[in-house]
Amino acid sequence: MVDGERPEAPLLLLAHHGTPGACAAEQLAYSVARAWQASILHLLVIPAFWRDMMGDDWLNNAATRAQFGGYLEQILGAEAQQQLQAVAERCCGQGLAYRSLLKIGEPTDLLLECVRDEAPAALVLGSPRPKGVPGVRSRIDMPRLMQRSSIPLLLAPWGWKGNQPFF
Amino acid sequence: MIYTHKSPALLLMGLLILLWGGLNRLGSVDDLQAYLQPSAYKDHIAVKEKWEAELRVATEQAKANNQAAPSLKKPLSKFDKEKEFQSQLCTIFGGSFTLIGLFTLFWRPKPGNVDYLISTVPGVAFIASIAFVVRWGLDPMFANWGKAVKDAGMLSWDFAKIFNLNYVVLGILAGIFVVNVIRVPAWAANGVRLSRLFLKSGVILLGTLYSAAELAQLGMLSVILIAIFVLGSVGIVLIMGRRMQAGNSMTGVLSAGMGVCGVSATVAASPVVQAKASEIAYTIGTILAWGVMCMFIFPTIGHLFEMTPVQFGAWAGTGILNSAQVAGAALAYDPEGVETLKVAEIFNITRVLFLPIIVLWLATWYVKNEENATKVDIGHVLISKFPLFVLGFILLFIMSSLGFFAPADHYQGKFFSGDKVKEEKLLKAKQGKLLEGVLQKMRTPEEQKALQDLIANRKLTSRDQDNILKAVAKIPDLDNAIKGILENAHKAAWHDSPVIRAYRDWIAWLFAFGLIGLGMQITGQAIKQAGGKPLVIGSVVGTLKAVGSLLVVLLFISKSV
Repeated sequence: MVDGERPEAPLLLLAHHGTPGACAAEQLAYSVARAWQASILHLLVIPAFWRDMMGDDWLNNAATRAQFGGYLEQILGAEAQQQLQAVAERCCGQGLAYRSLLKIGEPTDLLLECVRDEAPAALVLGSPRPKGVPGVRSRIDMPRLMQRSSIPLLLAPWGWKGNQPFF
Repeated sequence: MIYTHKSPALLLMGLLILLWGGLNRLGSVDDLQAYLQPSAYKDHIAVKEKWEAELRVATEQAKANNQAAPSLKKPLSKFDKEKEFQSQLCTIFGGSFTLIGLFTLFWRPKPGNVDYLISTVPGVAFIASIAFVVRWGLDPMFANWGKAVKDAGMLSWDFAKIFNLNYVVLGILAGIFVVNVIRVPAWAANGVRLSRLFLKSGVILLGTLYSAAELAQLGMLSVILIAIFVLGSVGIVLIMGRRMQAGNSMTGVLSAGMGVCGVSATVAASPVVQAKASEIAYTIGTILAWGVMCMFIFPTIGHLFEMTPVQFGAWAGTGILNSAQVAGAALAYDPEGVETLKVAEIFNITRVLFLPIIVLWLATWYVKNEENATKVDIGHVLISKFPLFVLGFILLFIMSSLGFFAPADHYQGKFFSGDKVKEEKLLKAKQGKLLEGVLQKMRTPEEQKALQDLIANRKLTSRDQDNILKAVAKIPDLDNAIKGILENAHKAAWHDSPVIRAYRDWIAWLFAFGLIGLGMQITGQAIKQAGGKPLVIGSVVGTLKAVGSLLVVLLFISKSV
C-alpha cells in the first residue's frame, strides 16, 4: 500500500437468492459490512437443474417446448432481477457499497469460482432450510464449500433477524 | 454457431460396434453368446447333432450304394440366426458411425443444417451403443442371474422376472444412471435430445400394425377411459387445490400434469396459467417421481393379475401420470412383442389429443378466476398444441389398411379362419392328449372352452380364443411342455408378412432407443423438487387414478378387443 492511499474496502460476498435463509444472511452481511466498512458483492445463482425441467416430455411439438423455455427464462429472469433490485435498494438504504453478479449453474461451484475470482474477505450465507420448510431443493454442498473455500465462511442461523448484537 | 464436436468418440463407438459384429461372424465369442443365450444354444446343439446324424446316415447310405458322399446343408439354429442378426445390425450401425466419425474428424463444419444434423450422430451412436449392450448383454445376463438365484434356492422367486429387469427397464435405468452419475457428454447432447424423434417415429410406425376394427375398438375404449379419468383427475385437483389454498396458477398447472399426460401437459399448460417457477418445479418433480415409480410397479402388478395386453395397455395408458413411462411400462410388461405397446400408445395418443382441449379449459378457468390473467387466443392454442405426429400415425394406418405393406387379412390373423395352417403346424394327437390332461386346471368356463376348441380344431380359430389361451399359458403351475404347445398354436395362427414383422422389430428398437434417451433426461435434481402441496395433491390423485383405473380395467375391460 502506498502512503496516503486509502485502503481498499474489504469485499463481503453475499450468497442470496431470496429464501428465508438468504434473508438472514443478508442481515448478518449488513452487520459485518458496517463493522468492517466493507462493500457487498451479491451473488445470485439460478440453479442448473432448471435446464432439465422439461424432463422426459416427448409429446409436445417444438413450438410448445420453445414457448415453455421462453416462459421459464422470462419468469426466472424477472424473479432474479426483482431479488437483485431489492437487495441493492436495501444496501443503498444502509449506506453500503453494492455490486451484483447473476449466474446460472451449480451454486457451490459458482460460489467457489466467485471466491477465487473476486477474492472477497469473507463469504456470508444462510444456513440450510430445515426439513419440512417448502422451497426449491438446490442446497449448497456445505462440506465441499468448507473444504475448498480459502476465505472465512459466516453462516447466519436460520431466522436471524439482524437485531441481535453481533459486534 | 458450430454444433459439431471434434471428438474421436463417434469413431471409437463405431469401431467397437463393428468389432462385436465381426467377432460374432467369426464365431470368436460363441462361448460368451452361449452363456448369454442358453436356450438358443441348447437348440443350436440339438440342430447340430441332428444334422450330423443325418449327414452320417446319408454318407453311409451313399457309401453302401457306391455313390459320392452327399453334401447336406446345415440348417440355421436360433443361435445362428441371432448371431447373424447382431452381425448385420453391427455392420450397418458400426459402419455408418465409423464413416461419419472419420468424416467429422477431418471436416470443417460451417454453421447450418448439415452441421446440426451431423452433431446429432454421436448422441445417436451413444444411445445405440447402450441399447446394444443392454439388449444383447445385460438383458440375458439378468435373466440368467434371476434363474440361477431361484434354482440355487436363495430366493423362491425369479427377481429378474418379478422386477421386469428386461432390456426396456434396464435401458431406461442405464439412461438415468448416465445423466445422474457420469453425465451426458457434451458431444452426445444433441443426439440425446433426438430421442423424442425416435419415440414419435415409433408411434407413427405403429400405425401399420392396427386393423380398422381393432383401432376403432381401442379408440373408443381409450376415449371413454381417458375422458373419465382425465376429467376426473382435473376436477379433483381443482377442488383439492382450492381447499388447500394452493393458488390458481399452481392448481392449474398441477391439474394439467396430473390429469392429462404428466410432464408434457405441464410444459404445455404452464405459460397459459402463468405458473410460478417453484410451482413448475414442484409439479414436474412430483410427476417424474410418480412416473418412474409406476414404471416399475405397474408391470409387476400386471403379471400378478395375469392381465392380457389389452387390459395392461389400458391400465398403464390410463393410470400412469407421465406419458413416457406409459410406453416404458407397456414394453417392460411385454418386451418380446408390441401387443401391449399397441394398446398403451392408443391411450397416449388419446391423451395428447385431449391436451389442447384441457389447456383451453384451464386457460378459460384461469382467466375467470384470476384478475390479472391475460386472455388466450383459442384458435392459436388449438393449432399450436396439436400433435403433428398423430397425423403421421393416421397416414400410416390408412396406408396399411389399403394394403400398402401387407394383404389386409394379415391384420385379422390370417390363419385363424382359413385352412392355411400347414399340417406340420397343426396340433398332434399326442399334444392333444397332453392338453386334455390339464383341462381340470382351467380357472373359468371360457378357458376350458378355449382349450377344448383348440384340441378339437387342432388350431386356434379366433382372436378371443388366442387371448384367453395366452392368459392360460401364464398359469404358474402349468407344465413347460403345455406352455410350449400353446405358444406353437399361437405362432401357427399369427403368421405375419415379413414387412409387418420387420416393422415390429424396428418399432421395438425405436422405442428402446427413445426410452434410453428419455431416461437420460430424468435427473435426480428434477425429481428432488417434488414437494409442497403438489406432492400431497399429486400423491392423492396419482393413487386414485392408478387404483381406480385398475379396478375399472379388471371389472369391465374384456381380455381382448
